[in-house]
Amino acid sequence: MSAIGTMVSARGVVGQTLHELAAEHPHVWGLTSDVGDPIKAFAQAFPDRYVDVGIAEQNVVGIAAGLALEGMMPFVAGMAPFISMRSLEQNRTDVCYQDLPVRFVGWGGGLTTGGGSTHNAMEDVALMRTLVNMAVVSCSDPNMVGAVMRRSMAYEHPLYIRLGKGKSDPCIYEPETMTGEIGAGLVARDGGDATIMAHGELVAEALAAAEQLAADGIDARVVDMYSIKPLDTELLLRCVDETGYLVVTEDHLAFGGLASAIADVLVDEGVRPKGFRRLGVPQLYTGFGSAPEQWVKYGYGRDGVAAAVRELLA
Amino acid sequence: MADPAEIRRLDELSAEMRRLLLRLCGHYSGAIHIGGDMSMVELLISLYHHGMNVDPDDFANPERDRFILSKGHGAVGMYIAMALRGYFDMDEIMATYGQLDSAYGMHPCKIQLPGVESSTGSLGHGLPIAVGLAFAARQRRESHRVFCLLGDGETCEGSVWESANTAGSYGLGNLVAVIDRNKQMMSSLEGVAMNLEPYPDKWRAFRWRVVEVDGHDVGAICDVLDALPPVDHDDPNAQPIAIVAHTVKGKGISFMERNVGWHAGSLTDEQMHEALAEVDARLAERLAATGGGIGGGS
Repeated sequence: MSAIGTMVSARGVVGQTLHELAAEHPHVWGLTSDVGDPIKAFAQAFPDRYVDVGIAEQNVVGIAAGLALEGMMPFVAGMAPFISMRSLEQNRTDVCYQDLPVRFVGWGGGLTTGGGSTHNAMEDVALMRTLVNMAVVSCSDPNMVGAVMRRSMAYEHPLYIRLGKGKSDPCIYEPETMTGEIGAGLVARDGGDATIMAHGELVAEALAAAEQLAADGIDARVVDMYSIKPLDTELLLRCVDETGYLVVTEDHLAFGGLASAIADVLVDEGVRPKGFRRLGVPQLYTGFGSAPEQWVKYGYGRDGVAAAVRELLA
Repeated sequence: MADPAEIRRLDELSAEMRRLLLRLCGHYSGAIHIGGDMSMVELLISLYHHGMNVDPDDFANPERDRFILSKGHGAVGMYIAMALRGYFDMDEIMATYGQLDSAYGMHPCKIQLPGVESSTGSLGHGLPIAVGLAFAARQRRESHRVFCLLGDGETCEGSVWESANTAGSYGLGNLVAVIDRNKQMMSSLEGVAMNLEPYPDKWRAFRWRVVEVDGHDVGAICDVLDALPPVDHDDPNAQPIAIVAHTVKGKGISFMERNVGWHAGSLTDEQMHEALAEVDARLAERLAATGGGIGGGS
């Protein structure tokens, strides 16, 4: 566990946590479609509970479903775009229809691979959260994935755990802050003038935006809605009630992800914020470049978030 | 060689399964996948009534053989074969199939119908699931087998070959794929359909051991099932086994055989009675030919 600001590899946390969980629980398996390097230590320690199928996402998810039917708890390590899209029907029909405890651990969420649109995962949250029985969690802090994985041992349903690039990211919380509870949100910074909601790597951007706003005398709250499904509706409604204004930013299409989930709740509850803005990837296929460069280009990184809050409050 | 009395018993069960399929196809208001049901009658009967170690009274016993119906549209065939074995109430199947709130639908649902190992229906999904069951059994060093019945048509799906690749690479000797090779898909038109040959060689190329069999000869099918090598998780040369069963779509009913129009359909009363009579006539012929009619059985 690491203090705030330390750089940690979330993929490394996946590997270490899987290794620990497998030592403790004989029904934990690790599967991968040719991205097994981060779980190498687990694979070497528990070779009879590790399967690398090569580059074959449909197959790896079907096998995971078969293992879960036999009472196993498989963690499938894959790349977010492919584990959400290539195997989508297996995710739905083999895993979710049968409500099996398969864990999909996908890294490269959003535009973080820099690989261009073939490798972007900007639809994954929308696709995965629409599946009945599937929970969707997006990790902002590299250690959060470990907390969620541990917590998931008592969770008997399908679960998608989304990571950013996951190679080297700053810790944003003290370790004990992260319970990994599925269905909860986390107030990353308190404030009373407006709420910024984000998930994954955009939480750090939202915190940076809040710093900028503080310099202007605006006291912004930042909420880490890491559990996109189920959503912490109580926290959401409280924030709207207490701060009035709401900006949602995410490394995902602006429509279909967290912002849409939030908008659904607000409409259903008949709650109208004083102002609401959603930031994310517009309806286009993005080009190349690093994720932070693209967050700037499409206006949903720290500057874009701060500007949206200022506009709302103006 | 299988015992003549056993062959006779399985032939009679196969005929009974055909009669039940025909009756359901006659009175059910919707279409039944009758062509593909008929092509796998002897395979299902040989598996559920001879080859597989299963007990309907203790259907979740960890030592049971597992069965995955990858060609999920053959669900009604599986329901009937299982009901004949004692899993389900046949009258309930016949009375409620396909109706609102019935557990017996067009594609099998594990949640609604315990005894079914996995929900299936979308093609190309069964074999990867079966591979998962086989991995679990191997890791726990259990000696049961995992059987997966596939239609040959669904083996056009890439996911089948992804999992065939995995099973071959990992030497899953406890896995048996049974392929209902009836050579006709829903839209297979003479001369312009997919040609899957050299079919057995494809499985061999994925490091499977292939056995070919007449999929309507219960004696031959039982011989193959009886000769399966014991499951040995320590055998470095273990291979998954593909039983390529040569079958006829619509088998047993002259007006249905090899007629893609009967991939799915309903029967008029007249057609149903004609077909039922043919089942009885063919059974009598078969029993006479195999000597089963001379009292060697019961």
